[in-house]
Amino acid sequence: MNIIEARNITKKYTGHTALDDVSVNIPQGSIYGLLGPNGAGKTTLIRIINHITAPDSGEVIFDGHRLCAEDVVHIGYLPEERGLYKKMKVGEQAMFFAKLKGLRSKEAEAQLKQWFERFGIMNWWGKKVEELSKGMAQKVQFIVTVLHRPKLLIFDEPFSGFDPINADLLKREILKLRDQGATVIFSTHNMESVETLCDNFSLINRSQNILSGNVAEIRNHMGADNYKLTFQGSPEKLFTALGDMVLRHRISNPADTPQGLVYNAELKLHPGTPIREFITQANEAVDIITFDRSLPSMNEIFIKTVEESNAAADVAKALRANR
Amino acid sequence: MRNNIGIIIHREFAERVAKKSFIITTLLMPVLMLLMMAAPALIMSVSTPSDKHLAVIDESGVMFDPIKEGVKNMEYLTLSRQTGALDSIIADRSYDGVLYIGADVVENPRNTFLYFHDAGGMEVENTINSILKQEIEDTRLQAYSIENLPQILAEIEADVHVSTIRINDSGEEENTSSTISMFIGMAMTFILYMFLLMYGQMVMTSIIEEKNNRVLELVVSSVKPIQLMLGKILGVGLVAVLQVFIWGVLICLMSAFVAPLLMPESITSQVEMMNSGALDAASDIDPEMLQAIGMFTSVSYLATLFGYILLFLIGGFLFYASIFAAIGSAVDNIQDASQLQSFAIIPIIIALVFSMSVATDPNTTAAFWFSMIPFTSPMVMLARIPFGIPHWEIWVSAAVLYISFIIMAWISAKIYRVGIFMYGKKPTVRDLIRWARYK
Repeated sequence: MNIIEARNITKKYTGHTALDDVSVNIPQGSIYGLLGPNGAGKTTLIRIINHITAPDSGEVIFDGHRLCAEDVVHIGYLPEERGLYKKMKVGEQAMFFAKLKGLRSKEAEAQLKQWFERFGIMNWWGKKVEELSKGMAQKVQFIVTVLHRPKLLIFDEPFSGFDPINADLLKREILKLRDQGATVIFSTHNMESVETLCDNFSLINRSQNILSGNVAEIRNHMGADNYKLTFQGSPEKLFTALGDMVLRHRISNPADTPQGLVYNAELKLHPGTPIREFITQANEAVDIITFDRSLPSMNEIFIKTVEESNAAADVAKALRANR
Repeated sequence: MRNNIGIIIHREFAERVAKKSFIITTLLMPVLMLLMMAAPALIMSVSTPSDKHLAVIDESGVMFDPIKEGVKNMEYLTLSRQTGALDSIIADRSYDGVLYIGADVVENPRNTFLYFHDAGGMEVENTINSILKQEIEDTRLQAYSIENLPQILAEIEADVHVSTIRINDSGEEENTSSTISMFIGMAMTFILYMFLLMYGQMVMTSIIEEKNNRVLELVVSSVKPIQLMLGKILGVGLVAVLQVFIWGVLICLMSAFVAPLLMPESITSQVEMMNSGALDAASDIDPEMLQAIGMFTSVSYLATLFGYILLFLIGGFLFYASIFAAIGSAVDNIQDASQLQSFAIIPIIIALVFSMSVATDPNTTAAFWFSMIPFTSPMVMLARIPFGIPHWEIWVSAAVLYISFIIMAWISAKIYRVGIFMYGKKPTVRDLIRWARYK
């Protein structure tokens, strides 16, 4: 069951296309990463999902029906660029946002107090926002985003401006919300957090969805036949023994340890190479210290995919220009 | 979603009304306005002119006494009769100035000079001028040797005041005075001018601020942009209405309870007589003054005026605030707004200037049309209303204004919806038009 199905979304502004036939399916109860370089169109897509802007064509299905204005009470959105009314008191302001999301005063106040207690910020309630630091204001923004227990949470760069301790607190809260059944859309440039948090992701580049899928599957797929080997002994002897099992390799300068020289090799094996056979051969040639699969990081996947897509687009453009 | 607009209005309203500056201006403004009106009189009564001593060289020999008689109320001015050479008396610094009256002053009135070592003072100059004029004219008249001249003069002197009576729509007679109507019209126009600019710009700056500190991005995830815009306009508008309403109530209360206490019995009774049409023609009080007092002590008249102010203040504010909102949404900071703002400010200023001219003749074709076009109608209409114009004109003008607001708000909402997410480039009018056309 998908909580969001964005189908063939196109949004054009004068002079440029923000989204070009983008489709994204977001499974309920998962954490979904929305990745892409700056200006790729992520924020536009998020705004469309939030019913803030309307697409030129295409549609968004929310929880089984076409997205409508009333659905926004089931969505909590923490924008990347975010602020609060400076002159307003923290408590009043939190109440204001809670009421906009349809909570009644009493309910809102009770829940807000709970959250404020939990984040240890109860003493901020009567303070004006302009007295708070940026990190403090971010905590308040986070609370007002999740307060109404939305089915869908959208976080755009949630960790920017947080110190590591608070970022970790936030991460735990996000996971807790997911465990309670919320779906989370997570837009970030921090690829490490994608690996630890996201189940699925889409990579948007130049207004198009260039790669979508399950994080683990894609890492496995893109890292197929990649291995890491550390060993002692002669590299020449190793590669001779392995023969054409190795498609490509990269070997680092040896590290000088008390036990002798240790080499680090990154290997791309010929598809279909039996690993048992590989280990036997390697073991005969050198002393293996460690042997492991080498999965590409999301960072590597991001850079590689975006660069390939840009190169392909540039080639296509050049071809069109020559014609 | 429906009640979200109410939440926005509530926030905008509560935030402004709770401010100390609002409470202070609301309560102090009427007092300040009264002070401003009374200021010239107050200053005059407080400041005493410096003592002056004038030497008078009266070569005609007949002017000194009338002048000395004429300036006797100017306690600070003393005169002493002199004969001799003008130059040496001027050089004598013991006098503040020298008045020279030529021997042929009756034939040649320009042969009079007033020499001062420092600033002379308009009052002295005017007094001397008018005394001399009177004396010279009398002397010349006497030269014709007409019999019973003083008696004739006394008999032909007339105190003219045309009592303007307007027949209103229902055929009743109303005492009016063009001067007072003009004054009231100007005052109302000016109040409206102030409110349109002040509160219109308040809407604009508050949108820019929201955009600038990015709180907007949080708010629009729960409120549709058009609701946010309308909520802001209505919230700020309510503040303006409350302020005018409080002023209206304060002034009506003052007129109902305070004014009668301050006014001498004789005046109030005369006002009553005038209102009932039985004013004694030989009254010694200026009838214009009586009418003014009559108007300002009539609570129902004042309340009607405030009713009209509110009608056109609300309409005018809504209309102009929509324009200001579109401008505010398009820019990142106040500096960038200055150029676009002129689209709202210039018509307001034109309306103000035109209202001044309307006051001299409220029934020209131009006055009629300017009071129908929504850009100028609120102010021009307020300038015309005190003169008593047909009611249908007022209602048509108001209807046009409110319909124009709806159209303008619709256009502005389209610009707003796009503008609030535009950062960086300073937009041009062409950009705004293009945004208004986006789907």
